Amino acid sequence: MLRAVVTYGSEGPQVLLTAEGGEEGYSEYTFADCAIIPDGESPGTKIESLEACDEGPSPIMPEAKEFFWGSGAFVVFALLMRFFLYPRLRRSMDARDASIREAHESAEAERDAARGEVSSYETALAEVRAEVAARIDAARSTVEQERTARLSEVNDAIAARRATASAEVDAAHGAARPQVGTAVATVASRAVELATGRAPDPNAVSRVVDELMNTGVSQ
Amino acid sequence: MLALEFPPINEILRWQDVFPSFNKVAAISVLAALIASVIFIIAGNADGSKAPRGIRNFAEAIVEFVENQIILPTMGSSGRGWTPFLLSLFSFIYLCNVPGIIPIIQMPATARMALPLFLSLLVWVVFIGVGFKHQGLGYLKNSLFPPGVPAPLYILVTPIEFISTFLVRPFSLTVRLFANMLAGHILLVTFALLTKELVQGDSVALIPVGILPFFMLVFLTAFEVLVAFLQAYIFTILAAVYIGGAAHPEH
Repeated sequence: MLRAVVTYGSEGPQVLLTAEGGEEGYSEYTFADCAIIPDGESPGTKIESLEACDEGPSPIMPEAKEFFWGSGAFVVFALLMRFFLYPRLRRSMDARDASIREAHESAEAERDAARGEVSSYETALAEVRAEVAARIDAARSTVEQERTARLSEVNDAIAARRATASAEVDAAHGAARPQVGTAVATVASRAVELATGRAPDPNAVSRVVDELMNTGVSQ
Repeated sequence: MLALEFPPINEILRWQDVFPSFNKVAAISVLAALIASVIFIIAGNADGSKAPRGIRNFAEAIVEFVENQIILPTMGSSGRGWTPFLLSLFSFIYLCNVPGIIPIIQMPATARMALPLFLSLLVWVVFIGVGFKHQGLGYLKNSLFPPGVPAPLYILVTPIEFISTFLVRPFSLTVRLFANMLAGHILLVTFALLTKELVQGDSVALIPVGILPFFMLVFLTAFEVLVAFLQAYIFTILAAVYIGGAAHPEH
């Protein structure tokens, strides 16, 4: 005899037919509807309700299989890490740190040495510069002395030449004066003669010309 | 009317066995150990004399993080010997946490009680062993009878110290990791289900509303990235504090 159980849920009415007396009845559920199919059951096997499904693990109680697999995985990993993975990585990290430190120290030493060389170079450069300055000063002083001496010599020579030329000019001037006076007197006498028709007294003309020339020179 | 049927809590933790006695959580644990091992093997095989790049750089960053942020502040330079253990702990827990947000896997192995319980018991055994190794039987005396406390107060202090040091520590380590990861997992499931029900529901008007839990789902997924790291860090630093305290009671 079949028994019908009608339920009304969010998806509408549902009918579950079951056979009384433990016989296999009619149901719309199978083990395939379960989240987990119990061990030894096939997915197509019909079940009376979802209560026949595996209830699943307790949310709080630890499961033995998870405990042993998890602990085994961790222990193996921790041992690998302790004896193989970490020492290998640490060694290479330490080696690199050491090489970086050595490189840093050698760079420091080279920098100190370079600083020493720069310092000695700067000292030598300062000495050379001081020597160059001294030599330039000495050369400048020598040149100045030579220039003064040469200038003095040239000035003396110029003064001597000037004196000589002045004496020559005076001598030429003195020599030319009687000739100029005579020529002027001749020209003046002729001019007077042409203007008046009679020749003036040569002595008077000469005297006047001399006076005029002396007056003009003095003026 | 919206009818959201949230599955029972044990249903969201159900996983069909991959093979007998080996389910998804066990697979995640094994994969976590395997991935961590592969990362450190590749890092170890890389040329160490050159500047680290790629996986080696990543591995060295983890090592330096554990040394500088966990060991040195809690144990001092004498604690460097514990680097492999704490590095294993941090890497393993992190890689067991992270699958909670990886599509398809979407289950942190630490959201089940077994793994946090084992790791906590291991830390418990280790720090007690370290205490006896460094202090002998004086470890019990120093732990249960803290110096400087007036004698009559030992009646009160000693039971408290016993409970807090020997009983609560492994319990709190376990529950902190397990509960945080399980809570995160449930939150992600909740918002994912809510988004699905709203978007795929009968009412068209509710489809735009489904964006809100979807954004929350995205935000919580990003948040779980932080939680995965943070829980691994907290577990490891507490283990370091316990071990360091057992080795150097004066600290």
